[in-house]
Amino acid sequence: MAATHFRQHVSWERITNWSGLLILLSLALVWPAAFAVEPGEELPARELRAPELPARVQSGSLLLKSASDAPAVEAMRVHTGFRAEVTGNIARVQVSQQFTNPSDDWVEGLYVFPLSADSAVDELLMHVGERVIRGDIQPRDKARAAYETARSEGRRASLVDQERPNMFTTSVANIAPHSSITVEIAYLETIARRDGRYTLRLPLAITPRYNPGFGTGTDPASPMAARLAHAASSVLGVNVTPERVTSPQQQVSIDIQLAPGFPLQTVESLHHQIATTSDDRAVSEVPAGDSLASRSVRIPSGDSLGRHISLKESDLPADRDFELVWTPAVMPDVQAAVFAEHAGAETYAMLMLTPPQQQSRSVERREVEFIIDTSGSMEGPSIEQARAALQMGVDRLSSGDRFNIIRFSNTASSLYEEPQPVSEASRALASHFIASLRAAGGTEMQPPLELAFATAPTDGLLRQIVFITDGSVGNEAQIISLIRKNIGDARLFTVGIGGSPNAFFLQEAATAGRGSYTYIAEREQVRARMEDLFRKIESPALVDLSVQWPGSAKSELAAPVPGDLYAGDPLVVLARVTGLPAANQALTLSGRTHGIAWVQQIPIVSVTQQAGIAKLWARERIGALVRQRNFGGDAAEAQAAITEISLQHHVVSEFTSLVAVDDSPARPPGVVDRSEQAPTSAPAGSYWANTTGFAKTATAAPLTLLIGLACFAVAALLYFPIYLRPGHARRFGSM
Amino acid sequence: MWRQAHHRQRAHFVTMAVALAVGLVCLGHSGWIYTKAFIAQQLIGATWQRVQAGQIDAKPWSWADTRPVAKLTLAHGLRALLVLEGSSGRNLAFGPVHDPASVLPGQLGNSVIEGHRDTHFSALRDLRLGDRVGIELPDGRRASFAVAHLQVVDSRRSRIVLDSEAPRLTLVTCYPFDAIRPGGPLRYVVTADWIGPTPPGRGGSPGDKRGERTSGPTGPT
Repeated sequence: MAATHFRQHVSWERITNWSGLLILLSLALVWPAAFAVEPGEELPARELRAPELPARVQSGSLLLKSASDAPAVEAMRVHTGFRAEVTGNIARVQVSQQFTNPSDDWVEGLYVFPLSADSAVDELLMHVGERVIRGDIQPRDKARAAYETARSEGRRASLVDQERPNMFTTSVANIAPHSSITVEIAYLETIARRDGRYTLRLPLAITPRYNPGFGTGTDPASPMAARLAHAASSVLGVNVTPERVTSPQQQVSIDIQLAPGFPLQTVESLHHQIATTSDDRAVSEVPAGDSLASRSVRIPSGDSLGRHISLKESDLPADRDFELVWTPAVMPDVQAAVFAEHAGAETYAMLMLTPPQQQSRSVERREVEFIIDTSGSMEGPSIEQARAALQMGVDRLSSGDRFNIIRFSNTASSLYEEPQPVSEASRALASHFIASLRAAGGTEMQPPLELAFATAPTDGLLRQIVFITDGSVGNEAQIISLIRKNIGDARLFTVGIGGSPNAFFLQEAATAGRGSYTYIAEREQVRARMEDLFRKIESPALVDLSVQWPGSAKSELAAPVPGDLYAGDPLVVLARVTGLPAANQALTLSGRTHGIAWVQQIPIVSVTQQAGIAKLWARERIGALVRQRNFGGDAAEAQAAITEISLQHHVVSEFTSLVAVDDSPARPPGVVDRSEQAPTSAPAGSYWANTTGFAKTATAAPLTLLIGLACFAVAALLYFPIYLRPGHARRFGSM
Repeated sequence: MWRQAHHRQRAHFVTMAVALAVGLVCLGHSGWIYTKAFIAQQLIGATWQRVQAGQIDAKPWSWADTRPVAKLTLAHGLRALLVLEGSSGRNLAFGPVHDPASVLPGQLGNSVIEGHRDTHFSALRDLRLGDRVGIELPDGRRASFAVAHLQVVDSRRSRIVLDSEAPRLTLVTCYPFDAIRPGGPLRYVVTADWIGPTPPGRGGSPGDKRGERTSGPTGPT
């Protein structure tokens, strides 16, 4: 009996002991978390759905930062400097990013930045003191592994990844306290004449992308969006974008050497004040003032000197894309040229053609469906521009045409059930509808497109869809695929709105819809740009285009030649050619214009190998392979082909990254580092540039209070079995 | 047998002592948060009087990197709260904070003030539509606002719009009010519209300092 009693006693004691230890253990686990989530702190776990987080971020940032009352750490800054050299139709741009760490910690800096989608990023230089370390192209995983190894060993390293076709991330490891590291990235871009102008576009700001089902990809203010996005897409296959935006904070400087190769009429910067110097060093300062006109420099015609262009103020907030536009003094009707670059047996060729200008308006009757984006990202000047553009589109319709207007945000609705004939009454109703449009909500592009494709076009009318948007979606591939499947005989034209539209989406959507695109960045441009668009809409300049290479030359085009070419739009064809005859090199281009056959012979001009045509070909080829894959091609095959081309031509792609690693350690062993993503600027006037986020407005007091009380309860629980049970006195008494 | 029992007793006792110690530390920590929230307001109160007396750069304590910018009365009968400039975690421990990206209360635009749900802003849950919220600025001007909206928003998906056509006050705290764990994504947002300056103040109409911040984006130029 006594033995039984004792056994029971032991098991009871054991249970209380164990449960006490368990509770304590769990408290010990909760404890750091309780402090980690204190207000005022950057907590990645909060912005995240848990499994997306790579282990390092989770442990690292949760424990590294001190408690809530530590002073707010001054944010890391990235100063961006652009140095561009434009020679003829090719721009070579060097982007330097200076990461400055103002804190007392060792920091890993992350920065998401925009570049144009067809830029071939091929060089990375990391400046460490006096030394320069050149980056190497590697498959993405290998590059990341090399970077992470260096980072954990305390060595300086930098990595450039492509997150989306026009969004890249720079990671810089081991920036010492109160110091900075500069990385230089270089890329090539073609500059073709479009609507009579040449434009160099340097994207500086990012409009956060909206992902259907996920809202804006990550929190636009999420401190580690870049990390999360990659983890989410690689681990979960979730479409999340890496940007973290704030009101414009990062600064830029811009310096351009312009050698157009022809006499210039005008050189003008559309949104920034510039100072221009001719090569003979005669300064032609842009007069102060704020009107659009004052920013353009009128140069006497016949002047073929190069220009040196820089920002008037050396540092400006990066709050809208920089656009430099130049026009030739003499505008040929048709401009065509073929440049060839020889690399061993292969020749890389670039054909550029600007089709004949359209004089007469076509008389073909049209049925136009306007789609207008009224999502939250359009708020501010964007929605005004969009409304103005839409109103112009409606005004331009002639009687006999039919039209409809579809507006969308996270929902879509249309003015009419189906397109209606143009009349006084329908115009008036449309104007009223347009005036009532306000920007709010998400960006779900599928429903409006489905609405537009739902009604069959009226017989005898040419169906056209005019899509007015800033393109800030994360599911671009899905939307483009939808357009491609449903376009039929219709044509889709995109109108990009705002300071930093998603150019990649607008161009790809127009390509898929066999139409063209145009950008409207400011209110003053609405009329001129819409005129450009109407010229294109009213009839294509060249159709059924084909290219014949001389002799028995075989060519591999980077991307298929587009079927229709619109007035003012350039044709750029990049090809890898073998077996080109040594002499008498000319290429034949044929097509039809207004039902009449059109043929042109263009001589092939050889250029030096440094021109970069091979790299541009590689980039274009990668773009085409990505397109094929997105429209149902084999993913593994595409990945292999893209990786091979990128490695061969040393260009960054979604599967290859540039990595530069220093050999000697900088961070002393035992000293921890932390990661920080410098926010990218949101476009001026956008929702994000003029809103504020939320602070963390809860203390840990209730939690610690509860834990404290729980501990007391455990203590009491332990106290009772020992001292209050009847067996206690007897057992201790018999001792 | 006896040694075993003794050993168990000891382990038992140690566990109990540890539980007590951890409990004390926790209670101390949470008590400290409440105490700091209370004492800081007293210290800032003294500073506020010096600020109103004309010493604009007066600091509540010598190493402070913030200053009181407004006095906020949430409801009649409640102790007025002194609002600090800058929404850092440290400032939030001492009082409600004014988001420096927004205009000062009473100016043209939306003025954003945030506070802890457990301490200073626990009273937000009692605000009802139409309730009056009073603001006093360092120069003695006063403005009152009427509660126009009560909303719960997800801070990951929303932002506070800073532009408004009339002076507006937005008060933010964490939600739900009774949650134990800090760091949740939800926020309780009280929007109050300006209904006018109330005497006795120096009279100047709110919004006459709009030059400090342009009312909107610079727009096309």
